[in-house]
Amino acid sequence: MKQTHTGVWTIAEIEDGSINPVSYELLAWGKGLSERLKVELTSIVLTNKIKDIESLIHYGADKVYYVENDKLEHFYPDTYTNILQQMVEEMKPEIILASATTKGRTLMPCLAASLKTGLTADCTDFEIEEETRRLIQIRPAIGGNVMAKIKTMTNPQMATVRPKSKLPLPKDESRTGEIIKKEFNEEMYQSRYEWINYKRDESIEQPLQQSDVIIAGGKGIRKQENFKYLKEIAERLNGAVGATRAVVDMGWIDYSHQIGLSGKTVSPKLYIAVGISGAVQHIAGMSTSKYIISINKDPEAPIFKVSDLGIVGDATEIVPLLLKELKQGDKK
Amino acid sequence: MNIVVLVKQVPSTDNVKIDEKTGTMIRSELESEMNPLDMYAVEEAVRIKEKETGTKITVISMGPLSAEYAIKEAISMGCDEGVLLTDRRYAGADTRATAYTLSQFLKGKEFDLIFAGERATDGETGQVGPMVATLLGIPVLTYVNKIIEITKSAIKVQRAIEGGNEVIQTTLPSLITVVKEINDPRLPNLENKLRAKKSKIHTITNEELKIEEDKIGLKGSPTRVVKVFYPKISRQGEKITIKTPQEAVSKIKNFIKEKGVI
Amino acid sequence: MKEYNKVTSKIVEKIKKILKNENLLIYQDEENLKSYSNDESGGEYYAHMPELVIKPETKEQISEIVKLCNEENIPITPRGAGSGLAGANIPIYGGIVISLERLNKIIEIDAKNLVAVVEPGVVTNDLCRIVSEKGLYYAGYPMSVETSFIGGNVATNAGGSKVIKYGNTGHHILGLEVVMPDGEIIEYGGKRRKDSSGYNLLHLFIGSEGTLGIFTKIYVNLIPQPGKVVDLLVPFESIEKAIENVAPLMRETKVLPSAIEFIDKESIKYTSKYTGMKLPYQDEVESYLIIQYEGNNLREIEDIYEKSGLTLQKNGAKDVFIADNRTNSEKIWRMRRNWLESLKAIDPYVPTGDVVVPTSKIPEIMAYINEVSKEYKVDIPVAGHAGDGNLHPAPLKPSKVSPEEWKELSEEILGKIAIKAAKMGGAISGEHGIGFIKKELLKQTKEKEYTRMKEIKKILDPNNIMNPGKLF
Repeated sequence: MKQTHTGVWTIAEIEDGSINPVSYELLAWGKGLSERLKVELTSIVLTNKIKDIESLIHYGADKVYYVENDKLEHFYPDTYTNILQQMVEEMKPEIILASATTKGRTLMPCLAASLKTGLTADCTDFEIEEETRRLIQIRPAIGGNVMAKIKTMTNPQMATVRPKSKLPLPKDESRTGEIIKKEFNEEMYQSRYEWINYKRDESIEQPLQQSDVIIAGGKGIRKQENFKYLKEIAERLNGAVGATRAVVDMGWIDYSHQIGLSGKTVSPKLYIAVGISGAVQHIAGMSTSKYIISINKDPEAPIFKVSDLGIVGDATEIVPLLLKELKQGDKK
Repeated sequence: MNIVVLVKQVPSTDNVKIDEKTGTMIRSELESEMNPLDMYAVEEAVRIKEKETGTKITVISMGPLSAEYAIKEAISMGCDEGVLLTDRRYAGADTRATAYTLSQFLKGKEFDLIFAGERATDGETGQVGPMVATLLGIPVLTYVNKIIEITKSAIKVQRAIEGGNEVIQTTLPSLITVVKEINDPRLPNLENKLRAKKSKIHTITNEELKIEEDKIGLKGSPTRVVKVFYPKISRQGEKITIKTPQEAVSKIKNFIKEKGVI
Repeated sequence: MKEYNKVTSKIVEKIKKILKNENLLIYQDEENLKSYSNDESGGEYYAHMPELVIKPETKEQISEIVKLCNEENIPITPRGAGSGLAGANIPIYGGIVISLERLNKIIEIDAKNLVAVVEPGVVTNDLCRIVSEKGLYYAGYPMSVETSFIGGNVATNAGGSKVIKYGNTGHHILGLEVVMPDGEIIEYGGKRRKDSSGYNLLHLFIGSEGTLGIFTKIYVNLIPQPGKVVDLLVPFESIEKAIENVAPLMRETKVLPSAIEFIDKESIKYTSKYTGMKLPYQDEVESYLIIQYEGNNLREIEDIYEKSGLTLQKNGAKDVFIADNRTNSEKIWRMRRNWLESLKAIDPYVPTGDVVVPTSKIPEIMAYINEVSKEYKVDIPVAGHAGDGNLHPAPLKPSKVSPEEWKELSEEILGKIAIKAAKMGGAISGEHGIGFIKKELLKQTKEKEYTRMKEIKKILDPNNIMNPGKLF
């Protein structure tokens, strides 16, 4: 196939002028791919104002294109799509990655539809196919029981990427690169949307995704009341409580605690999986944790494959004791 | 008001097994049902209908003939009629080909609002809604958890986005994808169940839609599943069968201390 | 009252030798012993501390320990998951608790004979799930299915929501291996569905609440798995109307439902608050029936709900709601399954009655419960199994009443209701068992049978070491 498109793009996310860290995670993915392909890694910024734009270079971008206009203060799918469509058609990147945030998951389908190309949602890993240089997009499929490798036959190859599925590269302030401003005529900024307001909602604040320690429970904790042990342990470790889809479905704990494909992806320093067998659906949400400890009765439970420390034993016996010892530790 | 609701038929089990060699689902006694997340889209449409007299709701799905059942589930919640886009040639469609087929059917039809669920519980992509909107050239509002106001030409909604809620409005017609928090879908009652059972679903094949074959089904899908596999993730961890809970607790405490995580 | 010997350190040494693993026992560790001191019947109110808890791993260990206790005159309390509601696994004389939590293997799923052989410590839901993967079905379904052990289900002859079609646990048990009170291991029944050779001793052990021996192996009957289910949620303006529907429904539709559950207005108020869910008409009606049917395919299911729904409507149902997918079924059953939990959120030690009456008498006993509720000025929400006349009145402690007073008062309230039920041709327990909380009621309502039961107990356990203080 003749190479018509070249280069890897990542779409940065800006919130009120600041770069959202998911943008750096995307660069970590993009860096790996661009090095394999021996092409440039470009970060794309659409915003009304920006500070610290060089940080995108420091985190791995070779080049940054940015569009700055008051009308880009809020995310309007039509404006963003029109501008990006024009940029893509002009510069023809071969790969475009965006975060699977509410913004990325809205923008990317609109953009892919406009560009008449394919899009893969919520990827957790990527590979490059040796012979063809095509991007292999990997994501959990069919209710999260299996993983699928997906290839896009058209250009550009587009994908959204699960936040937290990779850590950003270490910041390297000695890196240099081009930062180029792109300009468009005013009619490109016209939108059919009108933003009214935004209210932070503390109750949907996700302590889960910010916690260094997560202790999560699955069916193996046997009953709803046993979550109280996990809650108390979490409190003592300054952590948060997670759960599997199964126990959330049974109503043992709220959906906001659900970790996995249909819940949240987390990557704490320590993840303690209690009575969780380790369905792919769940593992997709926690496998990037730095350390994983798991407790399960079944020695064959798949969770052990992703654990640094696997304990074959009855969670309902171990957890109360663990809490007790932590409490004693407190007294000392 | 004319409302369209897009629904999808999904397997009604979490335990779909995969043949690793062929990458296909093992369809042993596979039951299917309407995508649970589409119930919220249907409910929201029905609630509008209950407020606005003269509203008509059409349920549209693309899928095999058996997807009629999913459409009937939506009708039993209060929708008026159903359309199933079904053709052997539509099989194997990815989100792009699906969105294209749906949009070709909808093009030129009269509608003020299109509702869709946030995503389907099988594919989990959430892409078809925004793609359909773009292909139809209408605005899309995703992750809607509250409809604030609908006027003749505009809609104002609240969207659940990271860390809070955004209020935004746009022009009609537009496409809305809704999240779980938006409502509590009703249980259908017998009367509506029987009405749905009797209702005739309009099936439309490509003979009627006449879409070029390279834009539908597997052929029209820019993305291909090249391999399906059970992941073999491995961390060369230690696995210990403990003799006492005490032993487990000591192991955990030592591990935490050793790695200095807390 | 009989005097028992204490568990001395000499005895503990002997037991350690039998178990060969110190980790299988808990001794002198107050905190850990405490979790074996009660069950779900009334929390702290009824708790008694065991002197020693052991968690044997083999039947031989159990046999030797039972022999030792029989010689040394030490009481034994067998224990399953501790989810019982009548206090049957509370060690009221101290002594040794034998917890069966480590006998938790599914030994065999014999698809050729449609039999599963399991150890008593298997969680019932795990058994259901594993056999269902093979297209088979274990039809026992106590409401505690997610936590209770199969052994405990057998020991209490547990019921649940599917009794109307499949019978209670006893109907699914083909055989039991039992460590008798003298330590002998005997197998009753086995992989056979018929046996008319002599007395049916197997069924003597079902519902024996650990007073006649300890189960170490259970043979359960399996049947083909139904293909599809449908659940009907049916609101009624009066309790009478709801109950009057039960028998005609089966006669007119000629289909046996797999469940007919009952839940009253009062209960809905609490479960709705707890689950955050609302049922249609919940502020307008007095009660709901939840009716479940099983069928082989969609068409069959559609026919059943149509026939059943029309019958119910004709006979006075306010409306009929149909759940034929997982999401909607779950919605309906979540309300029913969370019933006890939602009451516990109000009163952690809420006592649950367990009376059974001939189905047609449900309105009468409900009226009586209402009377008692007014007389004592105590809220008594009721849920239960309308299909088999088994109701669970659950008096909620008024805030003014102290916990000590409440123990007495609630026993009095539930006692009154139970005796009334027995007088209507019912019984004081449908599925929870007698334990020690209801033994006086048993004596009062089944006088002659009670005497014979006691005689049997005396023959099999002359030293009365096996779960003493229960039933008698």
